[in-house]
Amino acid sequence: MQLSRPFTRWLLLTTLLVGARVFAAEPLHVQVDQLIAKQAAGKPFAAPATDAEFLRRACLDFTGTIPTAEQTRAFLANQAADKRTKLIEQLFASPKYAERMAEAFNIQLMERNGDNAEWRKFLTESFRANKPWDQLAREIISPDFKDEKLRGAGWFITRRLDKVGQQDTDYPGLTRDVGRLFLGLDLQCCQCHKHLTVKDYKQVDFNGLFFPIQNLKMQAAGGDYKTAWVQEGLVTNKYEFVSVLSSVKGSTGPRVPLGPEIEIPTGTTKDELWAVPPDPKTRKAGVPKFSPLRELAARLTAADNPQFARNLANRVWWQLMGRGLVEPLDLHHSENPASHPELFDLLAKELVEHKFDVQWLVCELAQTQAYARSSVLPTSADQVPEQLFLAAKERPLSAEQLARSFLLAVGEHERVVEGKGWAESDKKKTFKDFEKAFLAAFANDAKEPELTVNPTLKAALFLRNNDQVLWALQPRPGNLIARVAALKEPARMADELFHAILSRPPTTEETAALEKFLTKRAADREKALGHFAWAMLSSMEFFTNH
Amino acid sequence: MNPLCKPWEHATSRRQFLGASAGAMAFGALGGLVSPQAAEAMRKKEKQVLFVWLDGGISQLESWDPKPNTEFGGPFRTIKTSVPGTHFSELMPQCAKQAHRLCVVRNLATKDNAHSSGVARIQRGDPKNRGVPYPFFGSAIAKLMGPTSSKLPPYVWVKPGSGGFKTEDAGFLGPKYGSLAFGDGKPPEDLLRHASLSADEDEERNELRELLNQRYAAQRRPAYTEASSFVFDTARELMKREHIFDTSKLPVKDLDRYGRTELGQHLLVARNMLEAGVRFVKVASYGWDTHGDNFNASASLVPKFDRALAAIVEDLAASGLLEHTLVIAMSEFGRTPRINGHVGRDHWPEAWSIAMAGCGVKAGAVVGATNDKGTDVKDKGHDIGAVFHTWFRALGIDPKKTEYNNNGQPLPLAHEDMEPIKEALV
Repeated sequence: MQLSRPFTRWLLLTTLLVGARVFAAEPLHVQVDQLIAKQAAGKPFAAPATDAEFLRRACLDFTGTIPTAEQTRAFLANQAADKRTKLIEQLFASPKYAERMAEAFNIQLMERNGDNAEWRKFLTESFRANKPWDQLAREIISPDFKDEKLRGAGWFITRRLDKVGQQDTDYPGLTRDVGRLFLGLDLQCCQCHKHLTVKDYKQVDFNGLFFPIQNLKMQAAGGDYKTAWVQEGLVTNKYEFVSVLSSVKGSTGPRVPLGPEIEIPTGTTKDELWAVPPDPKTRKAGVPKFSPLRELAARLTAADNPQFARNLANRVWWQLMGRGLVEPLDLHHSENPASHPELFDLLAKELVEHKFDVQWLVCELAQTQAYARSSVLPTSADQVPEQLFLAAKERPLSAEQLARSFLLAVGEHERVVEGKGWAESDKKKTFKDFEKAFLAAFANDAKEPELTVNPTLKAALFLRNNDQVLWALQPRPGNLIARVAALKEPARMADELFHAILSRPPTTEETAALEKFLTKRAADREKALGHFAWAMLSSMEFFTNH
Repeated sequence: MNPLCKPWEHATSRRQFLGASAGAMAFGALGGLVSPQAAEAMRKKEKQVLFVWLDGGISQLESWDPKPNTEFGGPFRTIKTSVPGTHFSELMPQCAKQAHRLCVVRNLATKDNAHSSGVARIQRGDPKNRGVPYPFFGSAIAKLMGPTSSKLPPYVWVKPGSGGFKTEDAGFLGPKYGSLAFGDGKPPEDLLRHASLSADEDEERNELRELLNQRYAAQRRPAYTEASSFVFDTARELMKREHIFDTSKLPVKDLDRYGRTELGQHLLVARNMLEAGVRFVKVASYGWDTHGDNFNASASLVPKFDRALAAIVEDLAASGLLEHTLVIAMSEFGRTPRINGHVGRDHWPEAWSIAMAGCGVKAGAVVGATNDKGTDVKDKGHDIGAVFHTWFRALGIDPKKTEYNNNGQPLPLAHEDMEPIKEALV
């Protein structure tokens, strides 16, 4: 329905006058900014990001790497009023978009707990097809190992149920992660008793989710399928648990946390119980008719489970804004409200209306003023509470973003990808080797949520002394140092260095600093250039998406 | 000259970042205003820990608690020590000379006789189960006391085998409190300055980095840049002292005193690290699980340990560091008095010994006793929880007043039903 302009204007006016609800026909990104402004209550916002800042941010977010020096120059020279919208469109159309989304969701969902090609392929293809989030989540929570295209999704479960040494199969860990990552509920503490600090979380919530998960049996790779897989056991009775604090007993069927219990069918005959009965001759376990996991996945991801949409809204918001509307990301409950409750509800509602269209949400958020603000604070840091989103929050680059951006900046990306780059004792290293070294130095430890800036000694030593890092800073035909060294004039040299590494022109002081340094180290200008580039590459400006 | 002050001169501003750990207090005390000599003197007064781990279980009967001429005593004699009335096994002649500096507890009675769970259980102090993995002692100290004013990493582990950044000890404290491990006593990858760089160049490029950071951080939140500067400074401090990590440059005279053995070398590296100001140094030695041929094995193993431990205790005492350094030598359990069919001794958590020295513990003391055959403790023994209380007290930390905060979950430092071993404390 097309509304007449005066009517819209009138509505807008009443909205402003009453100061109440925003008008629903506005695009989401407009409403987001209105609600952010409302909460800011007159506090000053940071200036809009400069073109250079915006370009770098969007390229990192939607293609996973910094822009090239040429891209930066072209964007800065472009005078079109809608160049930012056009840029976003271009980036979304790039094949890199799906890869970047798969990478970001892989980090969130697997938390550095190993790598698996089939899983990555599943994620990438899902994002390439812009698969609705509810469908994607169902395919992960209740994987269909029969379907070769979807089997990769099963790694989320099988990786977590892998036996480690003599430890018990980590069913509680998988339960916790399903709750955290798909619902924003960390129910771990309720495994053995009621939650001591969160009154909404009950022991029945953990155990209702735990029930179908502990019913899974790992099946080794190479049997029915090439990959490891899980099989469900027969469930006919409720699951019983007891509180270690109060000794009170409870029981539950499979249950969506904070949601409804799923009824267990009451059948008793072989036909009622089994889709494929167990075969005593071959000792093959049967396939029960009732699949608690499939039922759970269906209810958990349903449009009427508000927590499912809220969690996605919060995690996508976090991905682009550096801070969730609810923090911590996995501790949603009534006594820990969102920083912007109205906005939070709106995002969740719209997600449901848009059938969990992740790309739509990302695209809307990318068009907000909130996303396009500078990270330069408007006033002193203590006057800018993070939760008001007055300025863009700095976000650390992932190890993958760093590895690619580093190689791109120093002009060695192609050589390394072609396997003609860095070598160790005559053995040529691939891009994967390069990325692996960056992952080892910069990624969080396995099973640590990678949510915060975490500079480490390991990373500092890697940057200072690692062979690969220093190799990239030696002059070589076509690379950054060789290119810059050929320029002679300090202003042009600084211009090239800063566009290539920091995706912006240098300031006068920075050009002067380079000139001074080169004069001092005139004996070996190329090496000096390498040092200067190193300082830029290990600076905070390079390391953060700001 | 660069007109900018150097980042490492900002010890006080860095306190904000360190604020999370109690170490900030010791750190701030220096404030950058004292002379280097005074700073060095104050550095030496900061509390430190040397933790010697004999993995597999040293036999108490062949070391701290011999029972000669008894059913299970084995073939070795006892010898007098520097403390009248105290005897050690004859395999410990060097430690016997240091007995007046040692504090031996002979009545440990702990709970786990399996290596796989016992190692972690002992090094975590076996607190009540709270559903979270507790930190090992080294990680606990890294958290509670932080780095010393040397700014060197607070928890270093010298061990045979692989090195690197070992995070598993940290438990719920998080990987940042894990150890920096020197595998085979050698520095981890990338620690030494790259061969292509001179010290000057390295310093200069780092100053450039700080210059760029200052411009960037000027109008942004300071926390990230400070955290980054902190790790770069730590890297710098470590690299500056690369000579102490180079085992090829260890002085011959010292090597002979410590013994030209793996444990000897590693304890010598540990001494250098303690002198340089590492808060907590763990040295691990493997192969103490003498189920078979215990006596020949002990005759080979124990003297290596004896010599190295005695040498480091003597050196720390001579340099004055011992007064502020808590030295601990122990395993996950002792060994059975009963000698098995393979002339070996098996696992025995029921009655065993540990040795300590230095900061806060009673020098020359022997605490508790086992019965005549060494099969059980006399009276009541001490569990590892009590030992943890003792160590925390020795270091000036009161586990009754301090607790961990694990994302809002308060957790005691040590088993809350246990008490320190008073007889072992000064």
